[in-house]
Amino acid sequence: MIEIRNLHKSFGSLEVLKGIDMTLERGKVLAIIGPSGSGKTTLLRCFNLLEVPDRGILTVGKQTLDFEAGKKVREKEAVALRKQTGMVFQSFNLFPHQTAIENIMEAQVTVQKKSKSDSRQRAAELLAKVGLADKAEFYPHQLSGGQQQRIAIARAMAVDPEVLLFDEPTSALDPQLVGEVLKVIKQLAADGMTMIIVTHEMKFAADVADRVILMDGGVIIEEGPPENVLENPQSARAIQFLNRLASYEI
Amino acid sequence: MTDRQIEILIDSLLPLLKAGVVFTIPLALVSFALGLIVAVATALARLSTIRVLRLVARFYVWIIRGTPLLVQLFIIFYGLPYAGITLDPFIASVIGFTLSVGAYGSEIVRAAILSIHKGQWEAAYSIGMTRWQALRRVILPQAARVAIPPLGSSFISLVKDTSLAATILYMEMFRVAQQISAAKYEPLLIYSAAGAIYLLFCSVLSWLQNITEKRLARYSAS
Ligand SMILES: Nc1ncnc2c1ncn2[C@@H]1O[C@H](COP(=O)(O)OP(=O)(O)OP(=O)(O)O)[C@@H](O)[C@H]1O
Ligand SMILES: [Mg+2]
Repeated sequence: MIEIRNLHKSFGSLEVLKGIDMTLERGKVLAIIGPSGSGKTTLLRCFNLLEVPDRGILTVGKQTLDFEAGKKVREKEAVALRKQTGMVFQSFNLFPHQTAIENIMEAQVTVQKKSKSDSRQRAAELLAKVGLADKAEFYPHQLSGGQQQRIAIARAMAVDPEVLLFDEPTSALDPQLVGEVLKVIKQLAADGMTMIIVTHEMKFAADVADRVILMDGGVIIEEGPPENVLENPQSARAIQFLNRLASYEI
Repeated sequence: MTDRQIEILIDSLLPLLKAGVVFTIPLALVSFALGLIVAVATALARLSTIRVLRLVARFYVWIIRGTPLLVQLFIIFYGLPYAGITLDPFIASVIGFTLSVGAYGSEIVRAAILSIHKGQWEAAYSIGMTRWQALRRVILPQAARVAIPPLGSSFISLVKDTSLAATILYMEMFRVAQQISAAKYEPLLIYSAAGAIYLLFCSVLSWLQNITEKRLARYSAS
Protein backbone atom coordinates (compact mmCIF):
# COMPACT_ATOMS: atom_id res chain seq x y z
CA MET A 1 0.00 0.00 0.00
CA ILE A 2 1.12 3.52 -0.80
CA GLU A 3 -0.06 6.38 1.32
CA ILE A 4 0.74 10.04 1.86
CA ARG A 5 -0.69 12.31 4.50
CA ASN A 6 -0.63 16.10 4.48
CA LEU A 7 2.42 16.34 2.22
CA HIS A 8 3.96 19.79 1.78
CA LYS A 9 6.83 20.88 -0.43
CA SER A 10 8.21 24.31 -1.26
CA PHE A 11 11.02 25.49 -3.49
CA GLY A 12 12.23 28.60 -1.73
CA SER A 13 9.18 30.75 -1.25
CA LEU A 14 7.15 28.87 -3.88
CA GLU A 15 4.81 26.36 -2.24
CA VAL A 16 4.36 23.63 -4.83
CA LEU A 17 2.54 20.95 -2.80
CA LYS A 18 0.03 22.33 -0.33
CA GLY A 19 -1.03 19.35 1.73
CA ILE A 20 -1.62 16.29 -0.42
CA ASP A 21 -3.44 13.20 0.89
CA MET A 22 -3.86 9.99 -1.05
CA THR A 23 -3.91 6.23 -0.72
CA LEU A 24 -3.26 3.59 -3.35
CA GLU A 25 -4.04 -0.09 -2.87
CA ARG A 26 -1.68 -2.76 -4.01
CA GLY A 27 -2.13 -3.76 -7.66
CA LYS A 28 -3.98 -0.58 -8.57
CA VAL A 29 -3.04 2.07 -11.11
CA LEU A 30 -3.29 5.75 -10.32
CA ALA A 31 -3.10 8.45 -13.01
CA ILE A 32 -2.15 11.99 -12.05
CA ILE A 33 -3.30 14.70 -14.43
CA GLY A 34 -3.43 18.47 -14.28
CA PRO A 35 -2.18 21.64 -15.91
CA SER A 36 1.51 22.45 -16.33
CA GLY A 37 3.16 23.63 -13.12
CA SER A 38 0.46 22.13 -10.89
CA GLY A 39 3.03 20.01 -9.01
CA LYS A 40 2.53 16.58 -10.60
CA THR A 41 6.21 15.86 -11.16
CA THR A 42 7.13 17.17 -7.73
CA LEU A 43 4.55 14.92 -6.09
CA LEU A 44 5.75 11.89 -8.04
CA ARG A 45 9.38 12.59 -7.10
CA CYS A 46 8.42 12.71 -3.43
CA PHE A 47 7.52 9.02 -3.59
CA ASN A 48 11.17 8.06 -4.10
CA LEU A 49 12.69 11.06 -2.36
CA LEU A 50 14.21 12.66 -5.43
CA GLU A 51 12.41 15.56 -3.79
CA VAL A 52 12.34 15.51 0.00
CA PRO A 53 9.00 16.75 1.36
CA ASP A 54 9.09 19.52 3.95
CA ARG A 55 6.26 18.08 5.98
CA GLY A 56 3.96 15.05 5.98
CA ILE A 57 4.00 11.28 6.14
CA LEU A 58 4.89 8.85 3.35
CA THR A 59 4.28 5.11 3.47
CA VAL A 60 5.49 2.68 0.81
CA GLY A 61 4.94 -0.99 1.64
CA LYS A 62 6.22 -1.57 5.15
CA GLN A 63 8.26 1.62 5.36
CA THR A 64 6.92 4.86 6.78
CA LEU A 65 8.80 8.17 6.79
CA ASP A 66 7.78 11.19 8.78
CA PHE A 67 9.02 14.52 7.45
CA GLU A 68 9.56 17.68 9.41
CA ALA A 69 11.09 20.97 8.38
CA GLY A 70 14.85 20.98 8.97
CA LYS A 71 15.07 17.21 9.54
CA LYS A 72 17.34 15.48 7.06
CA VAL A 73 16.56 12.07 5.60
CA ARG A 74 19.41 9.63 6.14
CA GLU A 75 20.88 7.96 3.08
CA LYS A 76 20.00 4.55 4.51
CA GLU A 77 16.31 5.43 4.74
CA ALA A 78 16.28 6.92 1.26
CA VAL A 79 17.97 3.83 -0.20
CA ALA A 80 15.56 1.50 1.60
CA LEU A 81 12.63 3.43 0.15
CA ARG A 82 14.08 3.52 -3.33
CA LYS A 83 14.60 -0.23 -3.33
CA GLN A 84 10.83 -0.50 -3.14
CA THR A 85 10.15 1.96 -5.93
CA GLY A 86 11.05 2.10 -9.60
CA MET A 87 10.94 5.26 -11.69
CA VAL A 88 10.54 5.85 -15.40
CA PHE A 89 11.62 9.30 -16.54
CA GLN A 90 10.32 11.53 -19.27
CA SER A 91 13.77 11.55 -20.93
CA PHE A 92 14.55 7.85 -20.24
CA ASN A 93 17.91 8.54 -18.52
CA LEU A 94 19.38 5.19 -19.51
CA PHE A 95 23.05 4.73 -18.67
CA PRO A 96 24.69 5.49 -22.04
CA HIS A 97 27.91 3.57 -21.28
CA GLN A 98 26.05 0.32 -20.73
CA THR A 99 24.19 -1.96 -23.11
CA ALA A 100 20.45 -2.51 -22.76
CA ILE A 101 20.92 -5.67 -20.74
CA GLU A 102 23.63 -4.11 -18.56
CA ASN A 103 21.28 -1.24 -17.76
CA ILE A 104 18.75 -3.76 -16.49
CA MET A 105 21.36 -5.79 -14.60
CA GLU A 106 22.91 -2.79 -12.85
CA ALA A 107 20.55 -2.51 -9.87
CA GLN A 108 20.57 -6.26 -9.29
CA VAL A 109 24.37 -6.46 -9.31
CA THR A 110 25.27 -3.23 -7.51
CA VAL A 111 22.30 -2.71 -5.19
CA GLN A 112 20.90 -6.17 -4.58
CA LYS A 113 24.32 -7.89 -4.80
CA LYS A 114 22.93 -10.67 -6.95
CA SER A 115 25.31 -12.74 -9.03
CA LYS A 116 26.01 -11.65 -12.60
CA SER A 117 24.46 -14.76 -14.09
CA ASP A 118 21.24 -14.53 -12.04
CA SER A 119 21.00 -10.85 -12.90
CA ARG A 120 21.52 -11.50 -16.56
CA GLN A 121 18.83 -14.14 -16.59
CA ARG A 122 16.30 -11.87 -14.90
CA ALA A 123 17.28 -9.00 -17.20
CA ALA A 124 16.73 -11.20 -20.24
CA GLU A 125 13.25 -12.12 -18.97
CA LEU A 126 12.42 -8.44 -18.51
CA LEU A 127 13.75 -7.60 -21.97
CA ALA A 128 11.47 -10.25 -23.43
CA LYS A 129 8.58 -8.84 -21.45
CA VAL A 130 9.02 -5.39 -23.02
CA GLY A 131 9.46 -7.01 -26.44
CA LEU A 132 13.17 -6.26 -26.91
CA ALA A 133 14.85 -9.63 -26.41
CA ASP A 134 16.82 -9.07 -29.61
CA LYS A 135 18.26 -5.71 -28.45
CA ALA A 136 20.15 -6.97 -25.38
CA GLU A 137 23.59 -5.96 -26.62
CA PHE A 138 22.61 -2.60 -28.10
CA TYR A 139 23.73 0.68 -26.54
CA PRO A 140 21.00 3.24 -25.80
CA HIS A 141 22.09 5.57 -28.61
CA GLN A 142 21.55 2.74 -31.07
CA LEU A 143 17.88 2.44 -30.09
CA SER A 144 14.78 4.49 -30.89
CA GLY A 145 13.12 6.59 -28.20
CA GLY A 146 10.32 4.08 -27.81
CA GLN A 147 12.80 1.24 -27.42
CA GLN A 148 14.86 3.23 -24.92
CA GLN A 149 11.79 3.93 -22.83
CA ARG A 150 10.84 0.24 -22.83
CA ILE A 151 14.38 -0.61 -21.64
CA ALA A 152 13.96 2.05 -18.95
CA ILE A 153 10.74 0.36 -17.82
CA ALA A 154 12.54 -2.98 -17.65
CA ARG A 155 15.35 -1.34 -15.64
CA ALA A 156 12.83 0.08 -13.18
CA MET A 157 11.16 -3.34 -12.86
CA ALA A 158 14.45 -5.11 -12.13
CA VAL A 159 14.45 -4.25 -8.43
CA ASP A 160 10.99 -5.89 -8.08
CA PRO A 161 9.53 -2.67 -6.74
CA GLU A 162 6.40 -2.27 -4.69
CA VAL A 163 5.34 0.53 -7.03
CA LEU A 164 6.41 1.92 -10.41
CA LEU A 165 6.44 5.69 -10.90
CA PHE A 166 6.08 7.19 -14.38
CA ASP A 167 6.59 10.86 -15.24
CA GLU A 168 4.98 11.51 -18.63
CA PRO A 169 6.65 8.43 -20.08
CA THR A 170 5.62 9.18 -23.66
CA SER A 171 5.84 12.95 -23.91
CA ALA A 172 9.40 12.95 -25.28
CA LEU A 173 8.50 10.44 -28.00
CA ASP A 174 7.55 10.85 -31.64
CA PRO A 175 3.79 10.19 -31.96
CA GLN A 176 4.27 6.92 -33.85
CA LEU A 177 6.37 5.52 -30.96
CA VAL A 178 3.90 6.31 -28.17
CA GLY A 179 1.76 3.23 -28.75
CA GLU A 180 4.49 0.66 -28.13
CA VAL A 181 5.30 2.18 -24.73
CA LEU A 182 1.67 2.51 -23.65
CA LYS A 183 1.13 -1.12 -24.63
CA VAL A 184 3.91 -2.24 -22.28
CA ILE A 185 2.44 -0.18 -19.43
CA LYS A 186 -1.01 -1.65 -20.05
CA GLN A 187 0.45 -5.14 -19.94
CA LEU A 188 2.05 -4.33 -16.56
CA ALA A 189 -1.30 -3.10 -15.29
CA ALA A 190 -2.91 -6.34 -16.43
CA ASP A 191 -0.18 -8.26 -14.56
CA GLY A 192 -1.19 -6.46 -11.36
CA MET A 193 1.71 -4.02 -11.03
CA THR A 194 1.04 -1.07 -8.73
CA MET A 195 1.70 2.12 -10.68
CA ILE A 196 1.47 5.88 -10.39
CA ILE A 197 1.50 7.58 -13.77
CA VAL A 198 1.71 11.29 -14.50
CA THR A 199 0.30 11.69 -17.99
CA HIS A 200 -1.26 14.01 -20.50
CA GLU A 201 -2.76 11.11 -22.46
CA MET A 202 -6.37 11.24 -21.26
CA LYS A 203 -7.56 8.28 -23.27
CA PHE A 204 -4.73 6.18 -21.90
CA ALA A 205 -5.51 7.35 -18.36
CA ALA A 206 -9.14 6.39 -18.84
CA ASP A 207 -8.12 2.96 -20.17
CA VAL A 208 -5.47 1.94 -17.70
CA ALA A 209 -6.12 3.77 -14.45
CA ASP A 210 -8.26 2.53 -11.59
CA ARG A 211 -8.23 6.00 -10.11
CA VAL A 212 -7.42 9.48 -11.34
CA ILE A 213 -6.17 12.49 -9.42
CA LEU A 214 -6.53 15.92 -10.95
CA MET A 215 -4.11 18.46 -9.48
CA ASP A 216 -4.12 22.21 -9.76
CA GLY A 217 -2.00 24.74 -7.90
CA GLY A 218 -0.48 22.18 -5.56
CA VAL A 219 -3.72 20.61 -4.34
CA ILE A 220 -5.91 17.76 -5.50
CA ILE A 221 -9.08 19.28 -6.93
CA GLU A 222 -10.75 16.11 -8.16
CA GLU A 223 -10.27 12.45 -7.36
CA GLY A 224 -11.99 9.17 -8.14
CA PRO A 225 -12.50 6.50 -10.80
CA PRO A 226 -11.65 7.74 -14.31
CA GLU A 227 -15.25 7.78 -15.48
CA ASN A 228 -16.12 10.22 -12.68
CA VAL A 229 -13.09 12.50 -12.88
CA LEU A 230 -12.72 12.60 -16.66
CA GLU A 231 -16.34 12.50 -17.78
CA ASN A 232 -18.23 13.97 -14.89
CA PRO A 233 -15.98 16.42 -13.02
CA GLN A 234 -17.53 18.50 -10.26
CA SER A 235 -15.36 21.58 -9.76
CA ALA A 236 -15.33 24.49 -12.20
CA ARG A 237 -11.53 24.37 -12.54
CA ALA A 238 -11.57 20.67 -13.40
CA ILE A 239 -14.22 21.24 -16.05
CA GLN A 240 -12.22 24.09 -17.52
CA PHE A 241 -9.00 22.03 -17.65
CA LEU A 242 -10.67 19.01 -19.26
CA ASN A 243 -12.48 21.16 -21.81
CA ARG A 244 -9.25 22.83 -22.80
CA LEU A 245 -7.58 19.44 -23.27
CA ALA A 246 -10.53 18.17 -25.29
CA SER A 247 -10.28 21.14 -27.63
CA TYR A 248 -6.57 20.36 -28.19
CA GLU A 249 -7.22 16.73 -28.93
CA ILE A 250 -9.67 17.48 -31.73
CA MET B 1 77.29 22.40 -40.46
CA THR B 2 80.89 21.48 -40.19
CA ASP B 3 82.05 17.89 -40.06
CA ARG B 4 82.92 18.39 -36.42
CA GLN B 5 79.40 19.53 -35.63
CA ILE B 6 77.88 16.58 -37.49
CA GLU B 7 80.10 14.27 -35.51
CA ILE B 8 79.12 15.87 -32.19
CA LEU B 9 75.45 15.67 -33.16
CA ILE B 10 75.68 11.98 -34.01
CA ASP B 11 77.61 11.27 -30.81
CA SER B 12 75.13 13.10 -28.60
CA LEU B 13 71.85 11.92 -30.13
CA LEU B 14 72.09 8.48 -28.63
CA PRO B 15 72.79 9.61 -25.03
CA LEU B 16 70.01 12.20 -25.33
CA LEU B 17 67.49 9.69 -26.61
CA LYS B 18 68.56 7.23 -23.98
CA ALA B 19 68.06 9.80 -21.21
CA GLY B 20 64.66 10.59 -22.69
CA VAL B 21 63.52 7.00 -22.76
CA VAL B 22 65.11 5.87 -19.50
CA PHE B 23 64.54 8.98 -17.34
CA THR B 24 62.21 11.58 -18.88
CA ILE B 25 59.39 9.23 -19.93
CA PRO B 26 59.39 7.15 -16.72
CA LEU B 27 59.38 10.32 -14.61
CA ALA B 28 56.40 11.60 -16.61
CA LEU B 29 54.56 8.27 -16.43
CA VAL B 30 55.04 7.74 -12.70
CA SER B 31 54.14 11.34 -11.86
CA PHE B 32 51.10 11.24 -14.11
CA ALA B 33 49.78 7.95 -12.71
CA LEU B 34 50.14 9.18 -9.13
CA GLY B 35 48.87 12.61 -10.13
CA LEU B 36 45.69 11.11 -11.56
CA ILE B 37 44.94 9.39 -8.27
CA VAL B 38 45.46 12.70 -6.46
CA ALA B 39 43.34 14.48 -9.08
CA VAL B 40 40.35 12.15 -8.72
CA ALA B 41 40.59 12.21 -4.92
CA THR B 42 40.79 16.01 -4.95
CA ALA B 43 37.88 16.35 -7.36
CA LEU B 44 35.76 14.06 -5.17
CA ALA B 45 36.79 16.00 -2.07
CA ARG B 46 35.73 19.25 -3.75
CA LEU B 47 32.34 17.72 -4.57
CA SER B 48 31.99 16.11 -1.16
CA THR B 49 29.19 16.93 1.25
CA ILE B 50 31.80 17.31 3.99
CA ARG B 51 32.87 20.94 4.33
CA VAL B 52 36.36 20.31 5.73
CA LEU B 53 37.25 18.07 2.80
CA ARG B 54 36.06 20.71 0.34
CA LEU B 55 38.16 23.38 2.06
CA VAL B 56 41.33 21.29 2.22
CA ALA B 57 40.99 20.39 -1.47
CA ARG B 58 40.42 23.99 -2.50
CA PHE B 59 43.40 25.17 -0.46
CA TYR B 60 45.68 22.61 -2.11
CA VAL B 61 44.53 23.53 -5.62
CA TRP B 62 44.86 27.23 -4.81
CA ILE B 63 48.48 26.86 -3.63
CA ILE B 64 49.63 24.67 -6.51
CA ARG B 65 47.95 26.67 -9.26
CA GLY B 66 49.03 29.98 -7.79
CA THR B 67 52.78 29.31 -7.60
CA PRO B 68 55.31 28.44 -10.31
CA LEU B 69 56.19 24.78 -10.70
CA LEU B 70 59.89 25.73 -10.65
CA VAL B 71 59.47 27.37 -7.24
CA GLN B 72 57.63 24.29 -5.94
CA LEU B 73 60.45 22.02 -7.10
CA PHE B 74 63.04 24.26 -5.43
CA ILE B 75 61.10 24.27 -2.17
CA ILE B 76 60.83 20.47 -2.22
CA PHE B 77 64.43 19.78 -3.18
CA TYR B 78 66.50 22.69 -1.82
CA GLY B 79 64.13 23.92 0.89
CA LEU B 80 62.88 20.83 2.66
CA PRO B 81 66.38 19.69 3.78
CA TYR B 82 66.34 22.73 6.09
CA ALA B 83 63.24 21.25 7.67
CA GLY B 84 65.04 17.95 8.07
CA ILE B 85 63.61 16.28 4.96
CA THR B 86 66.21 15.42 2.34
CA LEU B 87 64.95 13.81 -0.85
CA ASP B 88 66.84 12.47 -3.80
CA PRO B 89 66.25 14.26 -7.10
CA PHE B 90 63.97 11.59 -8.54
CA ILE B 91 61.68 11.44 -5.50
CA ALA B 92 61.60 15.24 -5.24
CA SER B 93 60.69 15.48 -8.93
CA VAL B 94 57.95 12.88 -8.65
CA ILE B 95 56.45 14.68 -5.67
CA GLY B 96 56.54 18.04 -7.43
CA PHE B 97 55.01 16.81 -10.68
CA THR B 98 52.45 14.62 -8.92
CA LEU B 99 51.19 17.58 -6.91
CA SER B 100 51.01 19.65 -10.06
CA VAL B 101 49.13 17.03 -12.11
CA GLY B 102 46.88 16.43 -9.09
CA ALA B 103 45.85 20.07 -8.83
CA TYR B 104 45.33 20.85 -12.53
CA GLY B 105 43.89 17.39 -13.19
CA SER B 106 41.38 17.78 -10.35
CA GLU B 107 39.85 20.75 -12.18
CA ILE B 108 39.48 18.65 -15.33
CA VAL B 109 37.97 15.71 -13.43
CA ARG B 110 35.65 17.98 -11.47
CA ALA B 111 34.41 19.70 -14.62
CA ALA B 112 33.88 16.30 -16.25
CA ILE B 113 31.83 15.06 -13.28
CA LEU B 114 29.75 18.24 -13.27
CA SER B 115 29.15 17.90 -17.02
CA ILE B 116 27.23 14.64 -16.54
CA HIS B 117 23.51 15.29 -16.75
CA LYS B 118 21.58 15.43 -13.48
CA GLY B 119 19.20 12.77 -14.88
CA GLN B 120 22.01 10.23 -14.60
CA TRP B 121 22.33 10.81 -10.85
CA GLU B 122 18.56 10.60 -10.51
CA ALA B 123 18.34 7.37 -12.50
CA ALA B 124 21.09 5.87 -10.33
CA TYR B 125 19.35 6.95 -7.12
CA SER B 126 16.00 5.73 -8.42
CA ILE B 127 17.29 2.15 -8.65
CA GLY B 128 18.48 2.31 -5.05
CA MET B 129 22.12 3.32 -5.35
CA THR B 130 23.95 5.24 -2.66
CA ARG B 131 25.81 8.41 -3.62
CA TRP B 132 29.08 6.49 -3.74
CA GLN B 133 27.63 3.67 -5.89
CA ALA B 134 26.15 6.22 -8.28
CA LEU B 135 29.53 7.90 -8.60
CA ARG B 136 31.48 4.71 -9.11
CA ARG B 137 29.09 2.88 -11.44
CA VAL B 138 27.33 5.63 -13.36
CA ILE B 139 28.99 9.04 -13.11
CA LEU B 140 32.74 8.35 -13.13
CA PRO B 141 32.69 5.99 -16.14
CA GLN B 142 30.93 8.70 -18.14
CA ALA B 143 33.06 11.50 -16.72
CA ALA B 144 36.21 9.57 -17.67
CA ARG B 145 35.26 9.81 -21.34
CA VAL B 146 34.86 13.55 -21.00
CA ALA B 147 38.11 13.96 -19.09
CA ILE B 148 40.40 11.81 -21.23
CA PRO B 149 41.11 14.33 -24.05
CA PRO B 150 42.08 17.23 -21.73
CA LEU B 151 44.04 14.85 -19.49
CA GLY B 152 45.93 13.73 -22.59
CA SER B 153 46.94 17.34 -23.14
CA SER B 154 48.07 17.56 -19.51
CA PHE B 155 50.29 14.55 -20.05
CA ILE B 156 51.91 16.16 -23.08
CA SER B 157 52.57 19.31 -21.05
CA LEU B 158 54.01 17.19 -18.28
CA VAL B 159 56.50 15.52 -20.62
CA LYS B 160 57.83 18.98 -21.51
CA ASP B 161 57.73 20.20 -17.92
CA THR B 162 59.95 17.34 -16.78
CA SER B 163 62.85 19.37 -18.22
CA LEU B 164 62.49 21.53 -15.09
CA ALA B 165 63.77 18.56 -13.09
CA ALA B 166 67.19 19.38 -14.54
CA THR B 167 67.31 22.29 -12.12
CA ILE B 168 67.08 19.95 -9.16
CA LEU B 169 69.82 17.73 -10.51
CA TYR B 170 67.73 14.89 -11.88
CA MET B 171 69.55 13.35 -14.84
CA GLU B 172 66.73 13.52 -17.33
CA MET B 173 67.17 14.41 -20.97
CA PHE B 174 67.58 18.16 -20.59
CA ARG B 175 70.24 17.86 -17.92
CA VAL B 176 72.16 15.45 -20.15
CA ALA B 177 71.87 18.06 -22.90
CA GLN B 178 73.27 20.73 -20.56
CA GLN B 179 76.27 18.57 -19.76
CA ILE B 180 77.06 17.67 -23.38
CA SER B 181 76.64 21.27 -24.40
CA ALA B 182 79.02 22.48 -21.69
CA ALA B 183 81.63 19.90 -22.63
CA LYS B 184 81.51 20.54 -26.37
CA TYR B 185 80.73 24.29 -26.47
CA GLU B 186 77.83 23.69 -28.90
CA PRO B 187 74.71 25.02 -27.11
CA LEU B 188 72.76 25.87 -30.29
CA LEU B 189 73.29 22.44 -31.75
CA ILE B 190 72.75 20.34 -28.63
CA TYR B 191 69.75 22.22 -27.25
CA SER B 192 68.16 22.09 -30.68
CA ALA B 193 68.73 18.35 -30.75
CA ALA B 194 67.12 18.01 -27.32
CA GLY B 195 64.21 20.15 -28.49
CA ALA B 196 63.77 17.93 -31.52
CA ILE B 197 63.54 14.85 -29.32
CA TYR B 198 60.87 16.50 -27.12
CA LEU B 199 59.05 17.38 -30.33
CA LEU B 200 59.24 13.76 -31.43
CA PHE B 201 57.86 12.49 -28.10
CA CYS B 202 55.03 15.01 -28.06
CA SER B 203 54.11 14.35 -31.68
CA VAL B 204 53.78 10.64 -30.97
CA LEU B 205 51.63 11.43 -27.92
CA SER B 206 49.41 13.83 -29.89
CA TRP B 207 48.90 11.16 -32.47
CA LEU B 208 47.89 8.66 -29.77
CA GLN B 209 45.59 11.28 -28.30
CA ASN B 210 43.85 11.77 -31.65
CA ILE B 211 43.26 8.06 -32.05
CA THR B 212 41.82 7.79 -28.53
CA GLU B 213 39.51 10.74 -29.11
CA LYS B 214 38.17 9.20 -32.30
CA ARG B 215 37.52 5.93 -30.45
CA LEU B 216 35.73 7.70 -27.63
CA ALA B 217 33.57 9.66 -30.06
CA ARG B 218 32.53 6.44 -31.72
CA TYR B 219 31.18 4.91 -28.49
CA SER B 220 29.60 7.95 -26.92
CA ALA B 221 25.93 8.71 -27.30
CA SER B 222 25.19 11.49 -29.73
N1 LIG C 1 13.88 22.12 -8.42
C1 LIG C 1 13.01 23.15 -8.48
N2 LIG C 1 13.37 24.37 -8.05
C2 LIG C 1 12.50 25.40 -8.09
N3 LIG C 1 11.27 25.32 -8.56
C3 LIG C 1 10.84 24.15 -9.02
C4 LIG C 1 11.68 23.00 -9.02
N4 LIG C 1 11.00 21.96 -9.53
C5 LIG C 1 9.78 22.43 -9.84
N5 LIG C 1 9.67 23.74 -9.54
C6 LIG C 1 8.48 24.56 -9.72
O1 LIG C 1 7.42 23.93 -9.06
C7 LIG C 1 6.21 24.05 -9.79
C8 LIG C 1 5.62 22.69 -10.05
O2 LIG C 1 6.49 21.98 -10.90
P1 LIG C 1 6.21 20.50 -11.40
O3 LIG C 1 7.36 20.14 -12.26
O4 LIG C 1 5.92 19.63 -10.25
O5 LIG C 1 4.90 20.70 -12.27
P2 LIG C 1 4.17 19.69 -13.26
O6 LIG C 1 2.77 19.60 -12.81
O7 LIG C 1 4.94 18.43 -13.34
O8 LIG C 1 4.23 20.46 -14.64
P3 LIG C 1 4.42 19.91 -16.13
O9 LIG C 1 3.09 19.40 -16.58
O10 LIG C 1 4.83 21.11 -16.90
O11 LIG C 1 5.47 18.85 -16.10
C9 LIG C 1 6.54 24.84 -11.04
O12 LIG C 1 6.21 26.18 -10.84
C10 LIG C 1 8.05 24.68 -11.16
O13 LIG C 1 8.62 25.79 -11.79
MG1 LIG D 1 6.06 17.48 -14.88
